[in-house]
Amino acid sequence: MRRRTASDTIARALGIGAVTVLMATLVAGVGRVVAEREAEKESRLGPIPERGRGSRAERPVAVEAGVFRMKRSDLAVPWEQPLSPAAEPRRLALYRALRAYPGAPPRIPHGLTADEFRLTLCHSCHVRGGYVARFGKYAPLTPHPEYRDCLSCHVPDGSKVGIGFPNPANPAVCSQCHPAPDVRPREFAPIDWRPAPWPGIGQRALAEAPPLIPHDLESRNNCLACHGGPGAVQEIRTSHPERANCLQCHVRAPLEAGEFRRP
Amino acid sequence: MSELERRAFVKRVALVSAAAMAGSLAPGLVLGEEWWIAPADPDGIVWKKAPCRFCGVGCGLLIGLQNGRAVAVKGDPSSPVNRGLACVKGYHSVLALYGSDRITKAAVRRNGRMVEIPMSQALDLVAERIRETIRRHGKDSVALYGSGQWTIPAGYVAAKLFKGALGTNNLEANARLCMSSAVSGFLTTFGLDEPMGCYEDVEHADAFVLWGNNMAETHPVLFSRLLEQRDRRPAVRIVELATRTTRTSYAADRSLIFVPQTDLAVANAICHEIVHRNWVNRDFVARHVAFKKGKTDIGYGLQDDFHFSEEAEDATWEEYVRFLDDYSPERVARISGLSASEIRWLASLYGDPSRKVMSLWCMGINQHTRGTWANNLIYNIHLLVGKVASPGNSPFSLTGQPSACGTVREVGTLTHRLPKGAVTDPDARRLAAEIWKVPVENIPSRPTWHAVEMFRAFDRGEIKFLWIQGTNPMVTLPHLSRYRRAAAKADRFLVVSDVYPTPTTDVADVVLPSALWIEQEGLFGNSERRTQHFEQMLTPPGEAMSDAWQLIEVARRLGFGHLFPWNYETHVAKIWEEYTRFHDTPEHRMAPLEELKRRPGVIWPYVNGRETKWRYNTRYDPAADPRYGEFDFYGHPDHRAWIWLRPYEPPPEVPDEEYPFWLSTGRVLEHWHTGSLTRRIPVLHRAVPRAYAELHPEDAEQLGVKDGDFVRLVTRRGSLVIQARVDYRARPARGQVFVPFFDESLPINQLTLDAYCPISGQPDYKKCAVRVERMGSFRLP
Repeated sequence: MRRRTASDTIARALGIGAVTVLMATLVAGVGRVVAEREAEKESRLGPIPERGRGSRAERPVAVEAGVFRMKRSDLAVPWEQPLSPAAEPRRLALYRALRAYPGAPPRIPHGLTADEFRLTLCHSCHVRGGYVARFGKYAPLTPHPEYRDCLSCHVPDGSKVGIGFPNPANPAVCSQCHPAPDVRPREFAPIDWRPAPWPGIGQRALAEAPPLIPHDLESRNNCLACHGGPGAVQEIRTSHPERANCLQCHVRAPLEAGEFRRP
Repeated sequence: MSELERRAFVKRVALVSAAAMAGSLAPGLVLGEEWWIAPADPDGIVWKKAPCRFCGVGCGLLIGLQNGRAVAVKGDPSSPVNRGLACVKGYHSVLALYGSDRITKAAVRRNGRMVEIPMSQALDLVAERIRETIRRHGKDSVALYGSGQWTIPAGYVAAKLFKGALGTNNLEANARLCMSSAVSGFLTTFGLDEPMGCYEDVEHADAFVLWGNNMAETHPVLFSRLLEQRDRRPAVRIVELATRTTRTSYAADRSLIFVPQTDLAVANAICHEIVHRNWVNRDFVARHVAFKKGKTDIGYGLQDDFHFSEEAEDATWEEYVRFLDDYSPERVARISGLSASEIRWLASLYGDPSRKVMSLWCMGINQHTRGTWANNLIYNIHLLVGKVASPGNSPFSLTGQPSACGTVREVGTLTHRLPKGAVTDPDARRLAAEIWKVPVENIPSRPTWHAVEMFRAFDRGEIKFLWIQGTNPMVTLPHLSRYRRAAAKADRFLVVSDVYPTPTTDVADVVLPSALWIEQEGLFGNSERRTQHFEQMLTPPGEAMSDAWQLIEVARRLGFGHLFPWNYETHVAKIWEEYTRFHDTPEHRMAPLEELKRRPGVIWPYVNGRETKWRYNTRYDPAADPRYGEFDFYGHPDHRAWIWLRPYEPPPEVPDEEYPFWLSTGRVLEHWHTGSLTRRIPVLHRAVPRAYAELHPEDAEQLGVKDGDFVRLVTRRGSLVIQARVDYRARPARGQVFVPFFDESLPINQLTLDAYCPISGQPDYKKCAVRVERMGSFRLP
């Protein structure tokens, strides 16, 4: 708790002034990001539903496309559904362990049968969500159901699919074909990987203020997919999924704008 | 404290103090322990653009950098290639920089053991060896074998050093193994290399025909663009011609499984149907197409020192129609495994004038003993119906390496090429001599050996010194056992520049540590003629040095410093300036470096500040002359594209009683090439830790093999014990076996056949005969 003591001291020293500076920073930072993103004419997301104006569907602005869609499909379990008493809630630690760095596509923590190695079958659980008895957990919802080739970004752990050797712990099996015992290591070769730090959750400008959004919105602008419903990670589940316009209270954590200064 | 630092400090403090205050003011608030983790300092991560260094799609990535290390990756939303998406390899690509067994120091073999030496001494030794070998055995006794992973500057320096300064055409690259049939296909049909269209064709096409290409695994991000189009436009169809049922088949609307090698007959049958149904675009053919015959019964290059030279002979429309008589859908149905109605349906996709068609292919067509012909035949279909060089009508040859196009094809790091034109062309030699400032006599006019022959010459001893950069031939060469033995022979000297230990560095006499990807400044060129620049973002570990700079250092030691007078800071800019002089015509002009630094890649020809997205089309291509009509195929002197009369010929080795199965090799999504990078990335290694042999369930049952059992695969060249998988990821057709080639400890290429296309020199890794022996169950001791 060294960090906490240090922050307390600094907080006393700087007080509210610093907080005010921070809020200005937020506004400037977010404004800039939105402007940049709007400049992208092309997006890979699906068409905006037609509203009777014109016949051609426009490509939506990527970062904005999902925010009101709440792409929990009609089939998805309702967000107000309580956790099944049998379920083990999803936790942040596992959420992070499945990703190589903040923003990396998570690997698949369960095996895949041959049948599940079909396109879009992933969707039958990860679009619908809900309690999966086989794992004793809720299935997380995908924030980007418009992508169909799930396995091009998300890969399973081969050791759980049964690829590899019948008994990797027993070198005697290996040595029947390989002259030297060749036990498959967990990694092909050790790696010195130091990922970007995870953003602190619950960043706020003031106590009780709505927390900031500490991650990119690209591919992850469909807030409720991850933050709502019984499948959401416990630490980041929203208490008020019924309020549809998330971005009216929650804004992107400060980027590089610095504090406001008159030109 | 500088102003910037002060501001950053104030901001950090604000964040931390806000967090602390909220915690103390609302003690009842339930928060995870994560609350107390200091917020990441977003100012600390800087994002810089680079093309992905895996496949030839060329996705734009943003690399997150912090404290001198790469810490994260995003797809670049501004890249027109991938629009913010990447595949699992791209997302995890930066992890490959940090494997703990990176080669960071040079090493030399002494008494059979590798001993580390300073880099400068190693470069001295390499230069001395080159000098000495040439003195004793002549110029053609030294050779350089490079890579489609070379940056454009590395390839350019290689060509200038070997062809211009040393004066030998002993320069090849691994791209010979993956796309030289595509090159000779383009050159024979259009007279100029590389596609006429671009990825934007995907948004215009109504039908996609994949010729033997498991695109969902090998070009996933581009495949996602196909899937997106089908979601958006209900009329879009994805059709696959394949020999295996793969993830791509599951995604396709229709998957047609044909017998290996009969793609040649199927393509001709499609043309037969187009002609007999009167779907030929007669106006287009009359104005823009000429007919040619080449040699037939051209052999397979299995014997050493095999030589072949193609001769084009004029043919007529009537001759072509008579030629097609052999390929009625009924007749082709008998050998191809497709039904006549399936062939007719395929032909109708191409023939329907209201439908725009994009054909896509990669190794199934290129790694083929008739690879050049197979490429020609797909172009024939498109040319007959006039569906070429306009948005959505696009025969599109994909590539598998990040700069197979940009470096190997455009710079011409192949024995018969120069940066512009062929070595046999006196004008091409003159231009090269002028730009390189070397005497024109320096540049030899005769090609020497292409990749397979180069390694055979190394085995025979005609090549004594071989330098390999950025590739792993001791896993990738077909009929591998022969070439592994070659490297061990007494008077051969092998230098290998790489980033990780591989079976190729294992047999080297000198190992040089290379910079990897964003540890150097460089340029790549992808499959759609897009050139992409990346700056040096990281310091290479230890004494690692870019391949380009290694070549420059050796060139200077050989007394060619005056040809390479650049300093490290500006050498990429200077090289780009010099190299682009070769392409300074409207057919191939490249964008200036400043433009490339600003943008997520630029498609060439770049003329008057505009990319040329569709070549040969007078509406889009300033080099195309409207006097020839809507299109001008200016690659050939007659301004026409050529339809070739290419027959079906059988493969050199077919299954028989002794070896009753077909053996095919290829890739899986998670690994790239020989896995020397992707296997060091934990998430990818764990996903597919070992190679395996895919069997059809009925074959497995007949053999008494269950999923996960071991089998022994035996060909005339070698054998391999490997785990059998049944319906794990894909399913080969009956009578076929598929093995991915990424696993260095299960080198399937010991079994493959080194037969190649006589025109392109590209080997066929997809077809040879194999026996599958059941190993029985293991008894635990």
